[in-house]
Amino acid sequence: MAIVSTTNLSKTYGSGIFRKTHIDALSGVSLSVEHGQIFGLLGPNGAGKTTFIKLLLSIAYPTSGEASVLGYPLGSVAIRQNVGYLPENHRYPPFLTALQTLVHFGRLHGIPRLRLLDRARSLLALTGLSDWANVKIKKFSKGMLQRLGLAQALLADPPILFLDEPTDGVDPIGRKEIRDILTSLRREGRTIFLNSHMLSEVEEISDRVAILNKGRLLHVGSVQDITAHRLEYEIHLATSPPADVLSALRALCKHVEVSGNRLTVHLSDQGQAQAVLDALRAAGLVLESFSPKKSKLEDYFIQLLKPREEA
Amino acid sequence: MKALWLSVLTFRESVLKGTLVFFFIVSNLILLFFLVALGVSEEGGTTSLTLFGSIISPRGIEGFNAVEFILRQLFGGSTFWVLLFGLFATAGLVPSMLEKGTVELYLSKPLSRASLLLARSAGACSGIILNLLYFAILIWVIFGIKAAVWHGGFLLAALCTIPIFFFYYSIVAVTALMTNSTGFSIMFALIYYFFSSALAAREQVLYIWWDNPFFQRFLDVLYYATPQISSMIESASELIGPDFMRMRVMESAGGFDPLPFLWSLLSSSLLYAFAAWYFARRDY
Repeated sequence: MAIVSTTNLSKTYGSGIFRKTHIDALSGVSLSVEHGQIFGLLGPNGAGKTTFIKLLLSIAYPTSGEASVLGYPLGSVAIRQNVGYLPENHRYPPFLTALQTLVHFGRLHGIPRLRLLDRARSLLALTGLSDWANVKIKKFSKGMLQRLGLAQALLADPPILFLDEPTDGVDPIGRKEIRDILTSLRREGRTIFLNSHMLSEVEEISDRVAILNKGRLLHVGSVQDITAHRLEYEIHLATSPPADVLSALRALCKHVEVSGNRLTVHLSDQGQAQAVLDALRAAGLVLESFSPKKSKLEDYFIQLLKPREEA
Repeated sequence: MKALWLSVLTFRESVLKGTLVFFFIVSNLILLFFLVALGVSEEGGTTSLTLFGSIISPRGIEGFNAVEFILRQLFGGSTFWVLLFGLFATAGLVPSMLEKGTVELYLSKPLSRASLLLARSAGACSGIILNLLYFAILIWVIFGIKAAVWHGGFLLAALCTIPIFFFYYSIVAVTALMTNSTGFSIMFALIYYFFSSALAAREQVLYIWWDNPFFQRFLDVLYYATPQISSMIESASELIGPDFMRMRVMESAGGFDPLPFLWSLLSSSLLYAFAAWYFARRDY
C-alpha cells in the first residue's frame, strides 16, 4: 500500500512585486512510498527536497498535481494528525526545557495530558536526552537539538515520519545512534521519509531513494539496484602486473583500470571472470583478492547529476 | 484546547522576554505611590482627598470630584501606557511565530492556520491585559481602603481595555503577517494610534484642512472601517466620571457610548478575518 503518492506534483514560486520572476521548485514529480520503508530523497541544494515535504504537509501549496498521504488528500487535517515532522533548521522556544518543549508540542498535537508526560520522558530516553530533560534548550548543542527534534517528531506515535536532514550537525556517534533509532522504527512498521545530504547514511539505511535535481525527479529505485555491481571486479595482486598481462586482460575485458597492484576490470558477462583469473594465474601472479565492485550511491548520484550540471 | 495551549505558551513567552516583568514593576511602583501618598482630610466638616497631605482642591469647578478626576487621569495615562508599551512588548510575537524553522513546526500540527493566528494574538494580548487588570483592581482597592471610595465605574472602564487592546492588536497582526517584520508592525501600529485620534477628531481638525465632501466621506469611511481606538478610550473614561476639562470648554458632559466598541468589533473582526485568510493562503 502506498503511504505517500504524488502525481505530477509541481510548485512554482513567484518573487518580486512589480516584475514577477517564477522559480520552478518542483516540476511534475510522481512517486510513491510504500508502507514500512525508509525512503531517501536526495538532491543537491535547491533541488526541491524540502519543498516536496512542505507540499505534503500543506506548509506550502502545490501549483498543480495531486498527492495523498496515508490515503488522505493534501490539505487534510488527518495528515497532520498522523505524521511526525522534523523540519530543517528547526527552532524551538529557547526558554523551554527539553521536557517542556515536548509537552508543548504534544499538547498542540492534541495528545492527552496524562499520556504526554510519560511519552515525552520515554522519547527523551530514546534519544539520549534524559539527563537534559530539565535544562533550557538555549543551552543545547546543534546535535542535541536534532535529537530533541526527532523526539518531537515521534511524540504522536505517527505511522509516518518526515525527517529533513535529521543528522545535520550531529557528531558521528550521535549519527550512528539516530540511524539505529530509524532502523528500529522501521522494524516497528513505520514509514520514514528522509531528506538528506549524507549519501552514505541514506545508502546505509534506506530501502528506496529518489533523486531530485532542480525540481525534477531523475531517478526512483531501490538502493540495492543502484549499488548492485555491474560486472565490475576489483583485483588485488601482490605485485604490479606486467604489460603483457595487461594486454591479455584488455583483450578479454571491456575495460581495465590499473593503479599499482590494484586492477578494476569491467566484463561483458559473468563467464569472463574465470578467464581473467586463469590469465593472472598463468602469468604466475599472486592473487590477494578478487571481489565484485559494489558501486556507491554517491558515485551514482554524481554520475547522474554531472552531465546535467555540465549541460 | 490546542489553541488555548498555544495562547498560554505565547503568554509565557512574553513574560520570559522580560518586557512584561518591567511593566509589572512599573505598575507596582505606581501602586506603591498611591498607597503611600493617598489620604483623606476632614477639615471644617468636609472630607477631601489628599496626596502627600495636600488637599486636591476643586479649583472652582462646580461638581468637581477629586476621586473621579484622579481615576480618570490614571485610566487615561495607563491606557496610553498600556497600548504603547503593550505594542512594544507583543508586536514581535506574531513575526517570531513566522520565522523559518518555527513556522514549519506549528503548521505541521493539526491546527487550522486561523486558530494558530488567533491563539497567538490572544496569548500576546493576555499578558498585557492581565497586567492592566492587576493594576486597575489594586488601584480600586487602594482608593476603596484609603479614601473609602469603591468606584465601580473605574473597574468597568478597566474591563473595557480588554477589547480595546484586542481590537488594536488586529492592526499589528495584519501588518506582522504581511511584512514579517516586528519593526514595521510597531511603526505602522504607532502611526495608526495617532491617526485614529486624528480620525476621531476629524470634524474639528481634518475637515477644516481640506473642505472637500469626497475627502470628508473618505475620512468617515476610514473612521468606521478601522478600530476606533481613541473614541473607545474616551467613551470608557466616561464610565469613571465626567471630563471636567470638557465640561469647562463645552459646558456639557459626555457619556458612555457603546458605538465605537461595536464598530471596532466589526472592523477588527474583518481585519482578523483578512489576516487569517492571508495566513491560510501563504506558502512557508
